[in-house]
Amino acid sequence: MSVQKSWSELQTMALACRIVVETLDLLEAAAQPGVTTKQLDRVAREAIVKAGARPAFLGYRDYPATLCISVNEEIVHGIPGPKKLREGDIVGLDLGCIVDGFYGDAARTVAVGRASAEAERLMQVTREALFAGIEMCHPGKRVGDIGHAVQTHAESFGYSVVKDFVGHGIGTSLHEEPQVPNYGPAGRRERLVPGMCLAIEPMVNVGRPEVEVLADGWTAVTRDGSLSAHFELSIAVTEFGPWILSDPYPYAGEEAANA
Amino acid sequence: MPEAVGRPQAEGTSEALVVDGTVREALPNALFRVELASGSKGAVIAHVAGDSSLLRLRPGDQVVVELAAYDTGRGRVVRRR
Repeated sequence: MSVQKSWSELQTMALACRIVVETLDLLEAAAQPGVTTKQLDRVAREAIVKAGARPAFLGYRDYPATLCISVNEEIVHGIPGPKKLREGDIVGLDLGCIVDGFYGDAARTVAVGRASAEAERLMQVTREALFAGIEMCHPGKRVGDIGHAVQTHAESFGYSVVKDFVGHGIGTSLHEEPQVPNYGPAGRRERLVPGMCLAIEPMVNVGRPEVEVLADGWTAVTRDGSLSAHFELSIAVTEFGPWILSDPYPYAGEEAANA
Repeated sequence: MPEAVGRPQAEGTSEALVVDGTVREALPNALFRVELASGSKGAVIAHVAGDSSLLRLRPGDQVVVELAAYDTGRGRVVRRR
């Protein structure tokens, strides 16, 4: 059971999420051919510190960087290094930060220069799958409804969803209960209640869903080498539906009613 | 950052120990007593992996054996040598 956050705690979560998303905007602009993934990590770190937050991933289970960068067939958890981005690559940028003890977490996949039509379609579908999941976040729905919506959308385009990694509750630690899989039957798992915060993050492959973790212990790639995309947002369940925490509160005038 | 579930395993990190050996005796139930080339361990009881041609192993055949990390008295014949 996830801890329900108070209205003031949600404000802090929202600030952390906004810092993450604004930093992702910077990174998206900086992801140009010839730039190394290490350079992007430095951009991310400096932006987060400048905003008065702390990197959330650095040191998490000994993860060595601020940013996860996953290029092409890499799904998630790519470690920044000397690798140079090339025209046509698709690059997953996953970032988290901590403000006053509360975590924000978000990710997106962007094209370096112009990507192939297939890559563009994959990114579009994965993003749509994320929003299909977010739309399920009303009180009374269940965590399984989120995964079902994500999986149904991705698979209707012939893609597969990754099952070895899942979204998660978020709050005073990076990963809280409940787990939020991107698959499974509707109507199962935990019931959604106002004040619950979830990081929803579909990882979608063009080919088969199987995952291989490289010898660095982190980088997850598709076993069949097919392209993979990843989008993530942290949301709060409110009485009126989902609040994407990096966006302004969408149910203006209704704050008074318990978040 | 997604949470890892299950245990996806990196290639080449399998726990099994792979050694050379010589078949000493064919036992019932398609088991074989295999003497290990590395000597000191002596013989292990091994079953065969996969290929049914391995079922026809005879004493004296040279084989490659995988030993379970948790019980080095047992193994499985992976292939002929």
